[in-house]
Amino acid sequence: MNDQRLGIRKIVYYSEEILLENGLSPAVPAVRATAAAVVTNPWLGGEATDDLGEDVVQLAPVLARKLTDVLAANLGGVEAIQAFGKAAIVGTNGEIEHGAALIHTPFFGNLVREFFEGESIICFADDRADAGASLVVPLWHKNAAATRTHYQTITTRIGDAPRPDEIVVVLGASTGPRPHSRIGDRLTDPIVKADTVGELVS
Amino acid sequence: MSIRKIVTLTEDVLIEGGRDVTPNARVAVVAAIVKNPWAGQGFVEDLSPGIDGNASDIGALLAPRVLEALGAPAEAYGKAAIVGLNGEIEHGSGLIHTLAFGNHFRDAANATTLLPAVEKRGPAGVVFDIPLKHITDATIRSHHQSIEVRINDAPHADEIVIALAAAAQGRPQQRLAAFATETK
Repeated sequence: MNDQRLGIRKIVYYSEEILLENGLSPAVPAVRATAAAVVTNPWLGGEATDDLGEDVVQLAPVLARKLTDVLAANLGGVEAIQAFGKAAIVGTNGEIEHGAALIHTPFFGNLVREFFEGESIICFADDRADAGASLVVPLWHKNAAATRTHYQTITTRIGDAPRPDEIVVVLGASTGPRPHSRIGDRLTDPIVKADTVGELVS
Repeated sequence: MSIRKIVTLTEDVLIEGGRDVTPNARVAVVAAIVKNPWAGQGFVEDLSPGIDGNASDIGALLAPRVLEALGAPAEAYGKAAIVGLNGEIEHGSGLIHTLAFGNHFRDAANATTLLPAVEKRGPAGVVFDIPLKHITDATIRSHHQSIEVRINDAPHADEIVIALAAAAQGRPQQRLAAFATETK
């Protein structure tokens, strides 16, 4: 089945390569990117109790394949991708649940993990908005979600999407950590409780 | 030349007006976020040293990248300079309105026409549209188009966003009369 028959109107790729942060080159260079697909909402005019499963099975795997392919092709292959995240922006005629249906089931998430060779839960953002809304997409490490160096975000936005009858489905990825990440990790953290910080919270 | 970040954007249109676009229509943008060479200097009368020291290097950096992002021969192109709030629009114009900048793109794309441009000043996250026209004949109406860009954290007040845009084709579903054919 071709992309148009599934209602895919547009594919947008956006990347940021940071050369300087606070005047200094990152010790570990990284590119952050998003790939976004603008699709017709397949559930328009339905009821709040409708079963969404049938269209999820048809559409979500195609989006997982397409968005992972775009990111891998632009970022130097699956091996280069260290962090990932996902998002959906539902147009104003849709339900938030419609966006959730496309990104929160195994027909998207499991396939993204398989194609990106990752094991983590995929962190996410979702929203309902007019065309041109921006959304911050969280990313974390694809195999070790608690790796603090890789907590980062990238902002996604498409000027003419989503229309009221559309959904924008976004996959984010990064080839490395934050620039100058230096706030420790779970392994190095002290034990912090209210007693430890004392008067600051009393 | 101090570059903080390089942004790449591609848009592939698969459907326009409810009909398939075959082949898909692609427009690409590559932007460099650079330090304003004249930041903090007050009114600088002669901009040429700053232009000579930066414009060619930025053009040489962006031209091959935008063509690589396009992944096809360019048929239309354009450019942009978005100046941060502390700068003059003349600063951005200085960096892009010189052959030393534009010829890198023109030569790489086998182009001959002037590059249409947007110059404006705005805060980080400002939305701007880059106009594109045909690379060898600016009267070819099918190729008049634009692409919208926004970079969330740029330009800072002392920065300038310099961008090039390239399209592999004219507008999706273009079907207007050619230039001058409708006049009496």
